[in-house]
Amino acid sequence: MHDVNKLLEPTGDLAIDIAGLTRVEGEGSLRLQVRNGVIEQAHLEIFEAPRYFEQLVIGRTPDEVIDIVARICGICPVAYQMTAVHAFEHALRIEIDPAVRALRRLLYCGEWIESHALHVYLLHLPDFLRYASAIEMARDHRATVESGLALKKAGNRVVELVGGRAIHPVSVRVGGFSRSFRRAEIVALRETLETALDIALETVDLVAGLDTPEFVRDGRLVALRHPTEYPMNEGRIVSTDGLDLAATDWRSAFREDQVAWSHALQARGRDGRPYLLGPSARITLAGDQLHPTAAAALRRTGLAEEIAVNPYRSIVARAVELVDATAEALDLVEAYEPPDAAATSWRPGPANAAWATEAPRGLIFHAYELDDRGLVAHAQIVPPTSQNQAAIESDLAAFAPRVLDLPRDEATLRIEQLIRSYDPCISCATHFLDLSVETVP
Amino acid sequence: MTLRLPVGRAPWRSRTDRSARATQSVAVEVLVCGSPDRGDDGAPIAAAAVLRQDMAGDVRVRIVGQLDIDDLLAVSADARVVIVDAAVGIRAGQIVELPLTGLVGREDRLRPRSSHALAFPEVIGLAEVMRGRPMRGLIVAIGGRSFGLGAAFSPTVARAIPALATAVRDAIGRLRD
Repeated sequence: MHDVNKLLEPTGDLAIDIAGLTRVEGEGSLRLQVRNGVIEQAHLEIFEAPRYFEQLVIGRTPDEVIDIVARICGICPVAYQMTAVHAFEHALRIEIDPAVRALRRLLYCGEWIESHALHVYLLHLPDFLRYASAIEMARDHRATVESGLALKKAGNRVVELVGGRAIHPVSVRVGGFSRSFRRAEIVALRETLETALDIALETVDLVAGLDTPEFVRDGRLVALRHPTEYPMNEGRIVSTDGLDLAATDWRSAFREDQVAWSHALQARGRDGRPYLLGPSARITLAGDQLHPTAAAALRRTGLAEEIAVNPYRSIVARAVELVDATAEALDLVEAYEPPDAAATSWRPGPANAAWATEAPRGLIFHAYELDDRGLVAHAQIVPPTSQNQAAIESDLAAFAPRVLDLPRDEATLRIEQLIRSYDPCISCATHFLDLSVETVP
Repeated sequence: MTLRLPVGRAPWRSRTDRSARATQSVAVEVLVCGSPDRGDDGAPIAAAAVLRQDMAGDVRVRIVGQLDIDDLLAVSADARVVIVDAAVGIRAGQIVELPLTGLVGREDRLRPRSSHALAFPEVIGLAEVMRGRPMRGLIVAIGGRSFGLGAAFSPTVARAIPALATAVRDAIGRLRD
């Protein structure tokens, strides 16, 4: 049956299909099966075609891999580059110049700013303000959208300068960068970032005041944690239930499984439990390492505890991280001194490489086997969304019963809004929603 | 038959540079999407290299890679726009035109293959709202078959690149009139 006003039929038996998820990155859908008011099955179906990047890098050099994996995602290419380059440098024992390390962190900050601004302002905020799209929201809230676009542009500018171009950057190399950056080039970012920081602080105030559905999830959070800085390029893998691993050792605690309803592999703990990554996990597990400006912004919201348990509050976590990334980028710009050389020289050879970094959407893990010629013989690339998929399904199963008696449009909005809270990046595309409701025979 | 992009004929330009250039008065802006190292996704850039050989002074051709709202906000107030991109869902080598008018709300008809964060209609719709006026112009798209890594086009698409350049030139002519 289609086009009913309530999701739940009098029999209590039905299936809910959200055939195309809008304002997420990629091609996916949601299927919920309900019987007698109980969710029997929640499947986030990912039907984006497999992209075979783990095969594409076989036989390639580490530097070629860095360029290839950047093509996995147009929103977070730096995350893929950073994870790969750190894995190779760690395995090949390549020491990088501290100035190069700072530049890489600046580049990562640029990606966080760009990605978070896009998600907060154009993908997620319309849900909270009850608009069907960013276009409709822009008609009534032009200044707000302008703020989001200015933030996104600031992130773009950082990535474009340090990465060589705004989309799919090309400058990162094993041992450093493909070229040196003069101090004047980097300092030229200051004014843009100062303006962006003001907007980011306003963003925290804006999203902290949004009317948010109540929902408490009971699940494990996982993130990197670094002893002296907010996690981005480095840190240990930690969790809310006491996990503490080196960044190279992801596979000792987690595994990837094939599931019938998804083209993406689904990661879980080796004990079978799902876990959640992303801004809320980072703030919960490493919030004490936030930049002081971001920490103050978080305190002002009074929402730190709620961020840990209510996925809808991830928009606040993302806004706080906008402040963190912008403030840190400013510090890095001010302190920048060019390295002695653009890159450290290195020699290819056999190695087992592995590393984890923090993409905007959460922890990302890469592992590579390099053969005697230093070419990739095996690769494993585990993006955040494949790790979050099981947690999203678990949360949807827990949340859906409370909206089943709402009018269809309202329930659909709440469910979609929840999915968008995790900022899933299924590949890199966006399309529309078509909800159909069908009674189970 | 394969065709490779002539190095240096279609440079990636900075978005900052694009914004500065947008202050010049032009009649038609051609925004060329695609990536020169992703197979048929580079076809619009190859067509742009052909177009640049005989473009009138009031036509500006810009390689934008992925269409971003900033690219549209940088279009001169009175200028028309031709957006050139590769597409799936049509026959490889087939060339189609879509008017920008009425595109918003048709997100289902234009799912981007590559990594646009927002679909074309959303980007265009947002730009229209921010500019306070509708975008006037066309999308000219060529059907692609292979979007994998590498600069080689599939044979059908390689053969159709001159026709794509002609289609864009025709669109420019109509918009100038």
